[in-house]
Amino acid sequence: MAESVLTTNQLSKRFRSGSEAVYVIERLSFRVSAFESVAVTGRSGSGKSTLLNLLCGLETADDGVVSLAGQRFEAQGGYAGQKAATRWAALRKQTIGVVFQEANLMPAMTLLENVRLRADLAGQPGGEEMHWLEKLGVAAEAHRFPDQVSGGQRQRAALAMVFAMQPVIILADEPTGSLDRQTADDVTDRLFEVQRDTGCALLLATHDQALAGRCDRCLDLGEGG
Amino acid sequence: MIVKAMTSHYQRHPLQLLALALMIVVATMLWTGVSVLTGQARESLAVSEQAVAAREAVVRADGQPVSVADFVILRRAGVCVAPWLEASRSASAGRVIGIDPLAMACFDAPPVGAGNGELDGDPFVDISAVAGDSVQAEHPGQLSLLISPGTAPLPEGYERRAFRLGPATGELADSFLLNLDALSLLVLFITGLLVRSVYHLGLAQRRSSFALLRRFGVLEGQIQRLLAAELTILTLVCVVPGVWLGQALANRLGQGFGLALDSLFDLSLYAGDGSPLPWRAAMVMVALVLGVCLVDRLMPRRPAPGGGSSRWQALSIRLWVPTAVAGFVMVFWAGSLVWVFAGTALVFVGVGGLMPGILAGCADAMARRQPQSAASPLGRWRYRELAVMFRNLALPVVALQFAMATVLAVQALVTSFEETFDQWLAQRLSAELYVEVPEGASADAGARALATLGGLGDWHRVSRGKAEVRGSSGDGEAVTTDLMALAPISTLVTGWSLLAAVNEPWAALSFGGVMVNEQLARRSGVALGQMLLIELGGEPLEARVVGVYADYGRPSAEILLHGSVLPEGFAPSFQSFSLNPGARSVDDISRRLTSVWQVADLVIRDNASIQALAGQVFQQTFLLTRAISVLTLVLASLSLLVMGWVFFSTRNWYFQLLGVWGVPPAAVRGQLRRLALLLVSGVTLVALPLGIWLTWVLVSRINPLAFGWSLPMAVYPGFWMELGAVMAVIGLVIAWLIGRQLAGQTSLRPDASLAGGGER
Repeated sequence: MAESVLTTNQLSKRFRSGSEAVYVIERLSFRVSAFESVAVTGRSGSGKSTLLNLLCGLETADDGVVSLAGQRFEAQGGYAGQKAATRWAALRKQTIGVVFQEANLMPAMTLLENVRLRADLAGQPGGEEMHWLEKLGVAAEAHRFPDQVSGGQRQRAALAMVFAMQPVIILADEPTGSLDRQTADDVTDRLFEVQRDTGCALLLATHDQALAGRCDRCLDLGEGG
Repeated sequence: MIVKAMTSHYQRHPLQLLALALMIVVATMLWTGVSVLTGQARESLAVSEQAVAAREAVVRADGQPVSVADFVILRRAGVCVAPWLEASRSASAGRVIGIDPLAMACFDAPPVGAGNGELDGDPFVDISAVAGDSVQAEHPGQLSLLISPGTAPLPEGYERRAFRLGPATGELADSFLLNLDALSLLVLFITGLLVRSVYHLGLAQRRSSFALLRRFGVLEGQIQRLLAAELTILTLVCVVPGVWLGQALANRLGQGFGLALDSLFDLSLYAGDGSPLPWRAAMVMVALVLGVCLVDRLMPRRPAPGGGSSRWQALSIRLWVPTAVAGFVMVFWAGSLVWVFAGTALVFVGVGGLMPGILAGCADAMARRQPQSAASPLGRWRYRELAVMFRNLALPVVALQFAMATVLAVQALVTSFEETFDQWLAQRLSAELYVEVPEGASADAGARALATLGGLGDWHRVSRGKAEVRGSSGDGEAVTTDLMALAPISTLVTGWSLLAAVNEPWAALSFGGVMVNEQLARRSGVALGQMLLIELGGEPLEARVVGVYADYGRPSAEILLHGSVLPEGFAPSFQSFSLNPGARSVDDISRRLTSVWQVADLVIRDNASIQALAGQVFQQTFLLTRAISVLTLVLASLSLLVMGWVFFSTRNWYFQLLGVWGVPPAAVRGQLRRLALLLVSGVTLVALPLGIWLTWVLVSRINPLAFGWSLPMAVYPGFWMELGAVMAVIGLVIAWLIGRQLAGQTSLRPDASLAGGGER
């Protein structure tokens, strides 16, 4: 069995609603290994996006532990402290690839420049950008700006950016949520293909059961808070 | 419900509403202030022109001012004359003219204000009020005696002259007002750009709301009508305090303005009723705001980026480059002030049209030159963002560029005038003491006394009066000029730097030459070496022009002669001695002269007090110009601050994205600071050449045409640095505001209205 790149133990996140504390994530424990793809499912408001944000340090957990690429973050031990924030930032820069539903590209830069920017931030040597754009099927649009290409091409370019940084794990939040079925299928085909080639782990939040079905396994967050 | 939906934007963005309202208020204030002042000055000019139109006055043939005794002599001789006495109150209250309606009864057509018997103080009052103290005059003016046409012949010792209230300044005063009009039009242009930019940014942010309303079945026309109504109401509400503040500004600056007119053109502001002016200014402002914001409805739509934008850019270049070039050529060759202004306007329009594209192009070029590497991964991103800023903040960027250029030019003009004026004043006031010759005392006796006073430093005698000058051919109209005669020629004057001179000019002056001031040289085309026919106290004199000297701060033509050439019959209107005490004390000199002249007291002025007084007048003179340009800069800076902040806010998500990609918050804030500083530095850099060019236009083209004298061209890099520092502060404040906004953000989802910030 491949080594696990991500482990959570009793992870919790709650919000205040008046005087009441509402748990969005409650004592959640799971692990994800390299080469593995895991779908995070659940209804709207079930905490899918919150979980992904917790796993890349963009939000802070109230309880529990996250271990990612050999680094351990404890909610009680300064999950949100300055030092932890710096460690999270370093992880996001080089280890965790994050893809949102839309607006993943800098609008003033071409697709190629975007990919190069992301690779440079990750400290990857240059020269591989076109390779990733080709792999994702948007090499012909490399010198176009995001507003000059379709939504599907933008998402493929966003995936090329993520792969160009050679991440250990990709956290994708509804990456095809704004695309039509055919384009979405095309984008996810590329995503799974390259993910398997590179061997990184994939945690994909979606409410699309068909998409979830293509992952190795499913983590259902249920009805939500 | 539709209205509620539409107003919800400003409820969510009250700062934007405040910015728009503030801009309309400040713009109205500036425009109203300047309109009131120039309107008042124009009214004053009209009054003075109407009052003296085709009128004649009686003057004494000996050049002495007329007095009440002369009035009595003339009336007893059967000549229909009437007294005219001007008095100046505070400059903002204006001057009044005292007349005697009874004395004017013999006139066929009484002067303005006297005919209907209504002496309401605007500006005519009964002469007894001016002579007495009910008008509270600070400086009672000189008495003039108007004469009715076709009256009895004048007794001996009197002459008729065309009645003038000041020296003949040609079109200079009109030009000065035209100058102010041009400055206020520039202010209007800049504020128009600013109001339009804030309004359109608001519209861009509301695009998704309008789309939603259209989907709900609200017609496009209905939305447009509501937008127009919203803007009209806002404008009307904001114009009222703007007019009030403008009136207050005019009152505050009135004194300086009055002094400017008085010292530059001997033109006085007359008391008058300027009440309709602010409302005219308010109407102009309402029309401007509605015009600049709603003009797009009538214009062809600009293509969105990615569409035909390159064709649009090519079209812009084909339009703006010839406009700017035509402007440059026009300014260089134009012979009249109106054409110089028209050329300047064309240059501004052309440069304004080109500049955002050029700046964005430079930023894009810099982005391409940035080595993309892991060592500095964000260099290219920063310049690409900068290009977006320049494109999307085009209007406030251009407005700020214009405002900065104006401030730079006005500062350079005022400072170089100040320095030139100081140098000139230092030359003119090179003596330490100035002693007035008392009325009735003999200046010759004074000169003899000083000549025999051992140990006294350099000194000379100054005689002032009037002369009539014409070309040596004798044809053409005689020009009445001021006269200054000096004797002996001392080292107190030989150090003057002359604008043009023959070899050994002071020796040439001693041998019968004449020097003329720049005003006379420019206005009458008098050149070095030319022979002039000069009439002094009824005696003719022919003299060659041996020098042209600068004579700042007044409009009058003047000639300078050696005292020895003054004829016996010439009666100077004023005489004084300029001297350095040398080994003698002031008391020694004073005692000697009082004993020679048999007077109890002497009027002795020292150099420092005269310099201080001149400096005070100078500061007041340029108060208005400085105030307008600085207020415009403040307005434009505030606008860039607000617009920059709002625009940066729309890009918030992309700044957050850097954080998502692992750039630490402090580094993101650092990038924002660099971006904001690059933005303001870019504006400062392009404002500099425009400001330097505008300085040249002001000193070399507009100044000689408007004021009658030229100034040396000078630039002040120290002030550039100061202005750059102000711009840097604005950039840092923008970055700080956005940094705070980013730190306070809790959601990491792209905004639903992201379309408003995803431009390139």
